[in-house]
Amino acid sequence: MAMENQRPHSAPSASLVGHRSWFPRIRLTGQRDLKRYRIPLTRRTWFQGRAVVNPRDLTRQYKLDDKRPWFWIAGLVAALIIPILVGTNLALTAATTFALYSAINLMWMLVIGTAGIFSLATLAVVGASAYLTAWLSIEFGITWPVMLLLGTLIGLVFGAIIGLPALRIDGLYFALLTMGVVELCRVYVVQSRTFGSATGGLYGADTFIPVAWQLKTPGLILGYVAAFALMLAMLGIYRLVNGQRLGLLLATARESEASAEALGINYQLARFTVFLISSAALGFIGGFYAAYFKGASPSLFSIDQVMLLFAMIVIGGLGRAEGAVVGTGIVVLLDKLFTEFGPIRFIVIGLIMLGVTLFARNGLLGIRDQFIEFRNKKKSERRSERTEKGGEPLPEEASEIRDKDQIYFRRFDKNLRDHLKTLVTPELIEEHRIKPLGQHSDALERVLNYFRGAGGENKYVLYEMKANTEYKIIVTTGEKGIPPRDADGIVYTNKNDALHAVFLKRVQDLMDS
Amino acid sequence: MDMFTLMSGLQLTCIYAILAIGVSIIWSSLGMLNLAHGFTFAAAGYGAWWAASMFGKSALVVFAAGITTGALVGVVIYVLAFLYIYDKPNYPVRALIATMAINMMGVQLLMWWFGPRMKPLPKVFGFGSVKFGDVVVTYSQLGTVVCSVGVLGILLAWLGISRRGLEIRAMMQNPEGAALVGISLRKTALWVMILSGALAGLAAVLLSQTFFVSPYAGLQPLIKGLIVALLGGLGSIGGAMIGAAMVGFAEALTASHLGGQYVLMVQFTMIIIILLFRPRGISGLLDEAREE
Repeated sequence: MAMENQRPHSAPSASLVGHRSWFPRIRLTGQRDLKRYRIPLTRRTWFQGRAVVNPRDLTRQYKLDDKRPWFWIAGLVAALIIPILVGTNLALTAATTFALYSAINLMWMLVIGTAGIFSLATLAVVGASAYLTAWLSIEFGITWPVMLLLGTLIGLVFGAIIGLPALRIDGLYFALLTMGVVELCRVYVVQSRTFGSATGGLYGADTFIPVAWQLKTPGLILGYVAAFALMLAMLGIYRLVNGQRLGLLLATARESEASAEALGINYQLARFTVFLISSAALGFIGGFYAAYFKGASPSLFSIDQVMLLFAMIVIGGLGRAEGAVVGTGIVVLLDKLFTEFGPIRFIVIGLIMLGVTLFARNGLLGIRDQFIEFRNKKKSERRSERTEKGGEPLPEEASEIRDKDQIYFRRFDKNLRDHLKTLVTPELIEEHRIKPLGQHSDALERVLNYFRGAGGENKYVLYEMKANTEYKIIVTTGEKGIPPRDADGIVYTNKNDALHAVFLKRVQDLMDS
Repeated sequence: MDMFTLMSGLQLTCIYAILAIGVSIIWSSLGMLNLAHGFTFAAAGYGAWWAASMFGKSALVVFAAGITTGALVGVVIYVLAFLYIYDKPNYPVRALIATMAINMMGVQLLMWWFGPRMKPLPKVFGFGSVKFGDVVVTYSQLGTVVCSVGVLGILLAWLGISRRGLEIRAMMQNPEGAALVGISLRKTALWVMILSGALAGLAAVLLSQTFFVSPYAGLQPLIKGLIVALLGGLGSIGGAMIGAAMVGFAEALTASHLGGQYVLMVQFTMIIIILLFRPRGISGLLDEAREE
């Protein structure tokens, strides 16, 4: 602000220099240092930013290095508020489905992305936990907090059973094995009398929604808020596992398992731990599912449902939390809000999926990185296509030059030389030969002016050895104490011839540059 | 094992072998796990049904239509899931997702176009049966076995003898090496997709002798084909045949001794046990070389 006040004639325009678009920025007054608020008990700050000086108008400003937290906050607040504001039962159930599936997908992303285990049994863990807790609740009357707790335990045990073979079997073979587990569960649940084969599901478990609110808007809102809190919790778990030690160990192992092993990283153990953590979380989600829907249905074990969930995380982008959430949002929106379109909405989902896979390397959220990479590639392609340099600094050289005036001077110089080259003709040379000194045509004058302005380095000059009779051409070095050297050793007897010879040499250099 | 179980086991083995060899060849030569195989199967069934209702119910028409539709769908999958991305980063995962998307769209398209009602295919082998001693074997069982054994025999011989088969085998061993010696990956891949699509079409016609054609008819064969291909070890034709025999006979035996509802349970338990002992399938060695 202070800087702007010192400039009475120029109004604070959006872009003072250049033609780049205007970016919103947080200005700093300079009176007060930027105060950093830290996350309690850690040395992290909430937002990663720093105070910088804007190079264009030299004001101080706060620059946010990582804008993702803002997007997260804005997106999550919108996701929480909009369904409640809309308030219809359809919107609320769709939003609850979104939150629930997001939670599941986040944990699945942990398994596929972080641990690198291609498991299809994610939904089966949720299903097993939901079925068992619902059954326990119906048979023994346990309440919903106990259901959540037991669900976590069941998930842990189930995860351990499924996860152990993952140490030995990898890739698609493990996917097949988990698919087998899912199918086994489905067949068992569909046929078992205890788990409600007759009623198409198991219903009647305890729920956290008060009886008076059930199937009414307040109950749905409560359910949505609870599911949203569940999603937030899963985001936290994802962040803790993926962003902390375990995630780093596994990121190393993803690069190269052999080198990770050589570094002493027990990546198999890390993988298994991540699988267990996510399974326990999925068990918790299962308990929540049973407590929200008051039971469980066999659709939890259907291959179609697994494929739909996979479509969600694939559309968003594998290996990133925002991918799981955004992908789930898109698919759930299409699936739940456009039910009147029937099979067409699945075709649309399939088209989105196909388009994303064909054109985006890593989902919708990976498009930005891909675009930056593409732009850099194009840049370097253009750079390598440019064979002519002519004194103008290439971009990679330019970034090394501190004095930016140099860059512009060299660019101007190059353009000037390009223009002068067009002026040099046999007639012009002939003109100079006839009359090296005196008044010249405009073109010759321009060329000569350019020669006069050249620096002292490697400049052809005339050396008068004997007054008016002996001349020779020498080249100045442009450095003090180092004498000039002979250009060609020819001795000229006529001054005009000598001047013209210098001119020819300079023209030669100009045309060669 | 009585003659009936043997016969139905043999029939299932043949159909599973046809499906699994398609999946297996695609995996090893194109490096793509084709999840749209189920859609190819269902579409071929519909193609055969449509041709039968248009041009008459002769066996020739039904077979030709089924196989042609299967091959055409194979070309569609080739264009959508292979041609554009096969030299791009992250190809195996992207191809898998693309084929999954094609499967999803295709099944829904069939559902939308033809409706959810099941359609019967004409009995191409007739309704009669032959007696071997005291065992009755229907024509369709016999026809399925003879037909698939014949086709598989011709296919394997073709792969072994012909120039094109040599190219496909080279691509199965090492696509990069094949490209270096002047084999066009695109052309060969197109042939592989046509071939596997045609095989799926054949399997669709054969299996629809006992089951009906419906949009979701492809799911079970897809799962079975994948299971068998993986169980045998992806990329191995011999392994796929052994896997098909194991899965087929397990299914037939379970169905006759324990009851139809236990078929999947027994199959998957068997697979889990086998995978625990042989993590890369029964004859899975090529997979090691396939990974980068």
